[in-house]
Amino acid sequence: MSSIIEVKNLCWKTNGKTILNDISFTIPNGQFVGVIGTNGSGKTSLLRSLYRFIKPSSGQVSLNGNDIWQQNAIDVAKQIAVVSQSNTNTPYQVVDVVSMGLIPHKALFEGYNHQDKTLINNALNQLDLNELKNNDFETLSGGEQQRVLIARAIVQQGHNRNTTQQLLIMDEPTNHLDVHYQLDLLQRVKKLGISVIVSLHDLNIASAFCDQLLLIDNGEIIRQGTPQHVLNPEIISQIYNVNVSVIKHPQHNRPHLLFNLDDTNNDK
Amino acid sequence: MPSTIFIIIILFVACSISIVSALSFGAVTIPFNDILNALFPSLSDHSVDPIISQIVVELRLPRILLAFLSGAGLAVAGATLQLVTRNPLADPYLFGISAGASFGAVLVLTALTGLSILWLPVGAFVGGLVAVFMVLFIAGQHTYQQVERMLLAGVASSFMFSAATSAILYQSDPQAATAILFWTLGSFSQAEWQNLLAPAIIIGVSVIIFFAYSKQVLAISSGDENATTLGVNVSTVRLLMLILSSLICAVIVANAGGIAFVGLLIPHIVRLTLGQRQLNNYFIIALMGATFMILIDLVARTLIQNQEIPLGIITSAIGSVFFLFILKQRRQY
Repeated sequence: MSSIIEVKNLCWKTNGKTILNDISFTIPNGQFVGVIGTNGSGKTSLLRSLYRFIKPSSGQVSLNGNDIWQQNAIDVAKQIAVVSQSNTNTPYQVVDVVSMGLIPHKALFEGYNHQDKTLINNALNQLDLNELKNNDFETLSGGEQQRVLIARAIVQQGHNRNTTQQLLIMDEPTNHLDVHYQLDLLQRVKKLGISVIVSLHDLNIASAFCDQLLLIDNGEIIRQGTPQHVLNPEIISQIYNVNVSVIKHPQHNRPHLLFNLDDTNNDK
Repeated sequence: MPSTIFIIIILFVACSISIVSALSFGAVTIPFNDILNALFPSLSDHSVDPIISQIVVELRLPRILLAFLSGAGLAVAGATLQLVTRNPLADPYLFGISAGASFGAVLVLTALTGLSILWLPVGAFVGGLVAVFMVLFIAGQHTYQQVERMLLAGVASSFMFSAATSAILYQSDPQAATAILFWTLGSFSQAEWQNLLAPAIIIGVSVIIFFAYSKQVLAISSGDENATTLGVNVSTVRLLMLILSSLICAVIVANAGGIAFVGLLIPHIVRLTLGQRQLNNYFIIALMGATFMILIDLVARTLIQNQEIPLGIITSAIGSVFFLFILKQRRQY
């Protein structure tokens, strides 16, 4: 199995501060990968350097075998769709936002044809957004907005999508969502059948959904591998500064974290 | 919401009516038949009074065309700038173009007295561009905080050029000061066929490029990071849009003076009535701006008999009142 993303010795320094330090990892095609870590650990910066928004100070990010900085922005956009955290200023209808997914596939002057409209409508249907199609994006709930952005990501893969070459990156998509919508969202994403890299706050959700986890702290990878491997009680207790016990989830057998109340979580 | 095609047809009809009205009304009222005969002499069965013909073809028509180009150009430039800077107050004049152009014109009128008055548009054009390139130089090429730097640099350079203009005017004779005042308020009275070529080319080519990049501009309006992930080269597209808007504005200022408020007003009317999603539909924006400008010019030369009111006074007066009215009506805005 070939890899969708390969990161080698990635470093990013800004204003004299090291944000990402010597990060290396490889993600095989089709995997669902969770990035976990505390606030300010560098999750967003890591994701941004994967989708070519941050240019690393040193090191390399390869997408489908090619350095992303040797490819142009349009080629990268055809392979990586992004649901970022910054969607504050989008005063457009749902259908307009989803249509934007086609921008990397369109030449200058080119409009949207019948085939494009079918693609857009299929994506809207797939995410159950048909009735919200002409609503203003900004009036939707958080969960609905995330679904719109996933529909846009589907459209962004274009007409002749080759799912093995496609990557979806999501930065804390479950923030501020009720539990039902968190689970619903990630289940929908999983059904897409493409490689996914998602940063998550909720460690139990990360455990339940991800094939692989990357635990980062202070811009460095502390541990990577299966949830069983990464969600080690000593390590999580230390990094998150809490007292954690790990049990096996009765339904899916993945690690499930229990956070204990005692004195050890207080700073000395 | 009516369909886009329907809106464009309505605007097209409105624009045509405004052109015919502007050809017909003025110091002399010319009937529709005579306008047709003057415009298409080969089709007419009887000859028109040569004076009427001259008024239509040599005076009113170039003036209307300049108004059409200016209105369309200012509106499209304003809409584009509001989208790429994500700032609803953005307007071509916010980037110091008007102040720079005034400074250039004042230099021609006062310091470079050896030059003929024909150099005034050139001075204004160069002054406007100098101001804009100063803003671009300071804002830099990087996406990070590019918008904020552009807007602040624009405000600062406006004040700088205004200060220089005021200083020169204060030292110069009252005649030059009056000429400059009339010119800064805007007028199409200098319109002639031979002066239409530069605005037509610059505005035409710019609008075509705006059309080409309309999808990218829409993406930038929903955030730099968003647009980047859609494969848009944000800082380059934004710089290109700003340079084109500045060229449009500079050529209009050079030929018709500083016409305030149109670049701000028309995009907002579109946004308030049709929604932001039509803000990159340059057909709608251009037709609306052109119609508005032609009608304003008609008012400017017919409101008071035998006297012309500077355009800037009317656009600002009508525009601001209308603007406040819509703002009050649409509370959710």
